[in-house]
Amino acid sequence: MKAVAIVVAALAFGLLPYLTSSNYILGVAVSAAIYTVAAAALNLIYGYTGLLSFAQLGFWGIGGYATALTVVTFGGTFWLGLLWAGLLNAALALIVGYPTLRVGRHAFVIVTLTFALLVTLVARDWVDLTRGPLGIPGLPAPSLFGFEFKTTSHFYWIAWIYALLALGFLYALGTSRIGRTLVAIKQNEPLVRAQGIAPMPYKLAAFAISAAITGIAGGIFAFHLKVIDPLFLDFYYMQTFLIMVIIGGAGSFWGVVIAGIALSALPEVLRFSSDFRMIIYGVVLLVIMLVMPGGFAGWIRQRRLARMRAALR
Amino acid sequence: MTALLEIRDLRKSFAGVHAVDGVSFTVEQGSITGLIGPNGSGKSTTIDCIAGFQKADGGRVVLAGTDIAGRSAHQIARAGLMRTFQTVRVYENLPLRDNLAIAAQQFDDATWSDELFRTRRYRRAAAAAETRARELIELVGLARYYDADAGILSYGQKKLLALAAALMPRPRIVVLDEPVAGVNPTRIRDVEDVLRKLNAGGETFLIVEHNVEFITNLCHHVIVLDQGRKLAEGTAAAIHTDPRVLEAYLGMTPEMAEAEMRGAA
Repeated sequence: MKAVAIVVAALAFGLLPYLTSSNYILGVAVSAAIYTVAAAALNLIYGYTGLLSFAQLGFWGIGGYATALTVVTFGGTFWLGLLWAGLLNAALALIVGYPTLRVGRHAFVIVTLTFALLVTLVARDWVDLTRGPLGIPGLPAPSLFGFEFKTTSHFYWIAWIYALLALGFLYALGTSRIGRTLVAIKQNEPLVRAQGIAPMPYKLAAFAISAAITGIAGGIFAFHLKVIDPLFLDFYYMQTFLIMVIIGGAGSFWGVVIAGIALSALPEVLRFSSDFRMIIYGVVLLVIMLVMPGGFAGWIRQRRLARMRAALR
Repeated sequence: MTALLEIRDLRKSFAGVHAVDGVSFTVEQGSITGLIGPNGSGKSTTIDCIAGFQKADGGRVVLAGTDIAGRSAHQIARAGLMRTFQTVRVYENLPLRDNLAIAAQQFDDATWSDELFRTRRYRRAAAAAETRARELIELVGLARYYDADAGILSYGQKKLLALAAALMPRPRIVVLDEPVAGVNPTRIRDVEDVLRKLNAGGETFLIVEHNVEFITNLCHHVIVLDQGRKLAEGTAAAIHTDPRVLEAYLGMTPEMAEAEMRGAA
């Protein structure tokens, strides 16, 4: 029953281009799909494993630049660019993660933040590679077997299919024994070690997978914008992903997916009042945090626990 | 009887304080061995060094013929030594079912790809763990909480869950760090019965505990530590009357204790 509902909902999102021809709505839908994937990837490392990574912003930017440079500078295809975005980010995550994760959770937060800032610096100042603040405009539409994804509705297919693949993979991972082990590491690392499990490979794998998925999302998003410049590394993106994870409920797959879609749509729904739009958005976030400190999924969980306690009394 | 765990000249100091100062003892296969001593005598440091949670400065820890000193905690667990913690550790936000399953997962043959694709090998391993988990949860009397989150258990119930989790992979030896501290006194007898039953089934235990009655009822062999050194060892009965032990615990010799009692009467 639940599985059927999920498949129907996923396919319904695929029908969106048939329901509307508005490029504006489809553009919001592309953002929603891509942001939700990036938030779900952050959820893997932060929500499940308990490691707050600001490096996601860096992976997002590297993914965008890697894809753009593969196409524009090195003459490769968009798809090859996405492959590079994934591989490069996974490798960087391993290199940054291995020494940092040996130190501790707080050091990890600081180092990942520094990494994101460093990527911003490179994007702005390594002019020979990235063309600096001028950026790379006019990114061409991707094509596959002669078909060009020129319009927004065509491009929406790419975002939709990537979202299905990435979210499907993250769901399978999260509900597997590996996902359960990540949660165990977050809750009680000494106990995990006492049970014969070495935490490091799990943490590194979670970090690398989350980096690769975020990087590919960044690559797709850059070609949706058709331009990439250092503003692609604006902290706004990191903040968006983090808000989605916190509001949805860190560690809950469905909570974050629902929050990702809802929070992508919310600022657009509030456009009726252009003066107070962001203020209302802020108030909504504040109220949710006050009423549900554990996010949407945390709130549902608390209610379930209360019922369980009552039933066992 | 053969020695399953052999500790030789274990040493550990912190900033010049000799917390463990050359401790040696053995745990026989199939025994329940107690490790007691006043606060600060080095019991916790000793078992942290044995289980790999602290790095000993020197000495040997031989488990079933292999020297495991210097290995990391997860390697020692894989070698067959499972431990529990003084301040109870369970996965609060996971159901008891998962708490037990995680404890066994490192010990089956399912690989990461088996886990991700739910292959037959993974399902077989998961089913075996499930059977074992139900058996153990029944034994410690928490069966009705099997699908509930560990966070809703009382402190004493969590200690029982931690014991069951330690037994999941059928380890060679289980090291229990204060298994009944904080447990409701009426339930301590239950814990004794559970441990005795498991021991009759061949399980070996090393128990650190402050509750002398619990140790006396249960242990075949008792080692007493004081100021990082072994003060005495023997059967529980012999330890009870050892003047050195009484002095370490009560700060007086038996003669003084007797005199004091006479004075009070």
